[in-house]
Amino acid sequence: MASIDIVNVHKSYGSAHVLKGIDIQVDDGDFLVLVGPSGCGKSTLLNMIAGLEEISDGDIRIGDESMKDKRPSERDIAMVFQSYALYPNMTVAKNISFGLEMRNFSKAEIKERTESVSKMLQIEQLLARKPGQLSGGQRQRVAMGRALVREPKVFLFDEPLSNLDAKLRVDMRTEIKKLHQRLGATIVYVTHDQIEAMTLATKIAIMKAGELQQLGTPDQLYNQPSNLFVAGFMGSPSMNILPATIAEQGGKLFAKLSQKNTDDLLLPLPEQTGYRSYINKGVLLGIRPEAITDPESADKDSEHLYIADCIVNVTEPTGADLFAITELGGREVIARMRANTPLKSGETGPFAFNMNKAVLFDPSSEARID
Amino acid sequence: MSNNSTFSRTWWQNILPKIVLAPSFAISLLFVYGFIIYSGIISFSSSRMLPKTDFIGISNYTKLWKTLNWQVALDNLAIFGILYIVICGTLGLFIAILLDQKIRIEGFLRPLFLYPMALSFIVTGTAWKWFLNPGLGLEKLAHDWGFENFKFDWLINSDMAIYTIVIAAVWQSSGFVMAMFLAGLRGIDSEQLKAAQLDGASSFQLYRRIIIPQLGPVFLSAFVVLSHLAIKSYDLVIALTGGGPGRSTQLPATFMYDYTFTRNQMGVGAASAMIMLLTIAAIMIPYLYAETREKKQ
Amino acid sequence: MSIASNNNPSVSSQRFWRVLIYTTLIVMAVFYLLPLFIMLLTSVKTLDEIRDGNLLTLPVQWTLEPWKKAWGTACVGLTCEGINGYFWNSIKMVVPSVAISTILGAINGYILTKWRFPGHRWVFALMLFGCFIPFQIVLLPMSQVLGFLGIAGSTAGLVLVHVTYGIGFSTLFFRNYYEAFPTELVNAAKIDGAGFFRIFWRILLPSSAPIIVVTVIWQFTNIWNDFLFGASFAAGEHAPMTVALNNLVNSTTGVKEYNVDMAAAIIAAAPTLLVYIVAGRYFVRGLMAGSVKG
Repeated sequence: MASIDIVNVHKSYGSAHVLKGIDIQVDDGDFLVLVGPSGCGKSTLLNMIAGLEEISDGDIRIGDESMKDKRPSERDIAMVFQSYALYPNMTVAKNISFGLEMRNFSKAEIKERTESVSKMLQIEQLLARKPGQLSGGQRQRVAMGRALVREPKVFLFDEPLSNLDAKLRVDMRTEIKKLHQRLGATIVYVTHDQIEAMTLATKIAIMKAGELQQLGTPDQLYNQPSNLFVAGFMGSPSMNILPATIAEQGGKLFAKLSQKNTDDLLLPLPEQTGYRSYINKGVLLGIRPEAITDPESADKDSEHLYIADCIVNVTEPTGADLFAITELGGREVIARMRANTPLKSGETGPFAFNMNKAVLFDPSSEARID
Repeated sequence: MSNNSTFSRTWWQNILPKIVLAPSFAISLLFVYGFIIYSGIISFSSSRMLPKTDFIGISNYTKLWKTLNWQVALDNLAIFGILYIVICGTLGLFIAILLDQKIRIEGFLRPLFLYPMALSFIVTGTAWKWFLNPGLGLEKLAHDWGFENFKFDWLINSDMAIYTIVIAAVWQSSGFVMAMFLAGLRGIDSEQLKAAQLDGASSFQLYRRIIIPQLGPVFLSAFVVLSHLAIKSYDLVIALTGGGPGRSTQLPATFMYDYTFTRNQMGVGAASAMIMLLTIAAIMIPYLYAETREKKQ
Repeated sequence: MSIASNNNPSVSSQRFWRVLIYTTLIVMAVFYLLPLFIMLLTSVKTLDEIRDGNLLTLPVQWTLEPWKKAWGTACVGLTCEGINGYFWNSIKMVVPSVAISTILGAINGYILTKWRFPGHRWVFALMLFGCFIPFQIVLLPMSQVLGFLGIAGSTAGLVLVHVTYGIGFSTLFFRNYYEAFPTELVNAAKIDGAGFFRIFWRILLPSSAPIIVVTVIWQFTNIWNDFLFGASFAAGEHAPMTVALNNLVNSTTGVKEYNVDMAAAIIAAAPTLLVYIVAGRYFVRGLMAGSVKG
């Protein structure tokens, strides 16, 4: 097991600058998820950790050892690929043991490790088959087995679940999480699926256009997104972003939102040092759907709970919840309510805003205001 | 392990593929491009029986264009090339369309059109020389079948001999063109055809308006392959007519061989080879460029 | 896709078209097959019967004498020992040429797709263009190089020539094939600790059977059927089959023996025809790959 230090890493292909100075520190036993839209450079970064692509500038250190000029095989890492990359001409057992064979392990040791890994992953009955005879889920397990058998310092996963169907994806996600908890291994995991990122990670690095947007725990990213991009990327349905003005009344701060056909809405804001400098200026108010509910399910302990009547445009029942859509500040707002909330489209109903959960963004820099 | 050995091993892994590729590439550079340059130099020299490397300007080229044999060879290439490409293309497309009509015995018929491609041009030439033999070949067959006045002496008729080369070459190559077109036809999206049929297109209209226009790339590929084969044609002429009667079936390739190796006009021969190269390059380079480009995306 | 006259209202006219299509196809197939049939027929007739009958008359008296003569005693140039020696010359030339050019093509294709370096496209383009040059242009310098190396007029010289001008195509075949081979597999093997040769040997080569077959057939056909290089660089007793056949047909003094000519032509065509019959599907695939470059 080992820590990973990514220090000011750059990557260019000719004139294309795809990674622009990435700094990430991964502790021993961390599960780091690299997430972002396609083309953000997350896979390039993973390949550079693996040694499959050269580092243009900066350094990557695994367990305090620089990885520059080290071949992939010398880095003591294992990787699970998106397409699984199982060798089609070899049996499952050979696929799993190939890496050990290349490292000149003894026959007995290879056998023992292969057996214990295949037992752990429940693929013992598949050992004699070729990859072509396996289902998607089975291939996925074999690919993991090939990584696990090596007992490397670091595991790398490149979108390993993206080729599975929805049901299987959820199951495998749980299995990967269990494996991490059992082995305590250091893992770097690339995905574009924010739910995978939230559920698996101890640490998430969210990237966009070759730049790190935010590095933190899932909770930090979800509740304190450092900018509009992160706020919009994490969570589904995504955070409501509404143009608002900050107003002061009786020494207290409010977010003032224009409302259709009625008076402006004044939502109380928690005290934050940064807010004062925006009084009477425009900001963007970010509030997640689950922070706008029916009054009954609202968090009664919140100090900044405000109940307002809003016109319901549309209701979308999902079974577990009811999404109610209204309009505030000229934008559609999604609220997440109890399933049997008696709301009808076209009518007015009570909406409870938990402003403790709200965040504000500067409209020009798009950074969060503290 | 020390930093040094790690570095050198990584360096070795980087350099190894290039070392392995180098001999093949060097051979290509020397034996293709080196030789082209060499022939280019000879074509500007006064070489006759033995190669020389002096420089006499373009006089070999001017001499070449004034040589009657070369003009005959070019005329013949024009006749042969155009007929060969047009007939192979038409016949190949025709057979491909027929074979594409859900023919039950397609698997049995297809190889019959294709097998001539496996033969050497020398074998083809030998065989057709026998069929076209004026005394005992097709002519006699026709006589025996009652066409007493049938005359078929193209092989020894200097006005017609070039067409015998066309016939034999078409027999050998049209199956290949058929295979190209068949692959192209099979590649067309069948839903488009269903849509066109629902739109009321007849079979004929379907081919003329929908299918054949989409075969553009196949036409281009077929043209490039056939034209490059036509320009290089040598074996078939040697085996079938030997360039004769007289010089009536000389092609640039046979002209070049003659002048370089038997007539001791090495400079002129090299000049003719350069002309052939430039012609092929003018066809192949844009094609190869476009094809490799397409793959890139 | 079938367009077989779906729009024709009447069943009888549809049937008429089907019959017409089948008839046309079969008649054309017969015409394509006829030359081979006539060659076979002529090769088992006596010269007298050839003179008395026509191309399509069946032999009254079947004979294998022309075949024996072509193989063992016919005159090629100045010697009258048949074509068997030349047949073996061709075998001795083809086997090493095909083997070497295929191996080099495989490894070149592997490098040009999985170990790319700046300029790999140019290297490939330059090698590929070498396949299409009119070979007349290299005859003169090549004969001097072969003379310089002391292998002029020998089978070894021909092997060198065929390998040189064969690697362009074999590299093309393998490059296109390996282009579609998942690079993730190569990356996985790198992480597993396999090096340059081991990845090729253990990961790529075991999956390359289809393209090896295509390349071998293509190279075999091209090299066996070559005439220009054979005629230019291998004189006399070292000549390959095609050259010997041409000499046999064109330089026979005395009576023209058409039956012997045809027997010899069939012998010269037999290896490639055999390959075509056994592995015709791959042969077509090779032709197509050769025509659709990239």
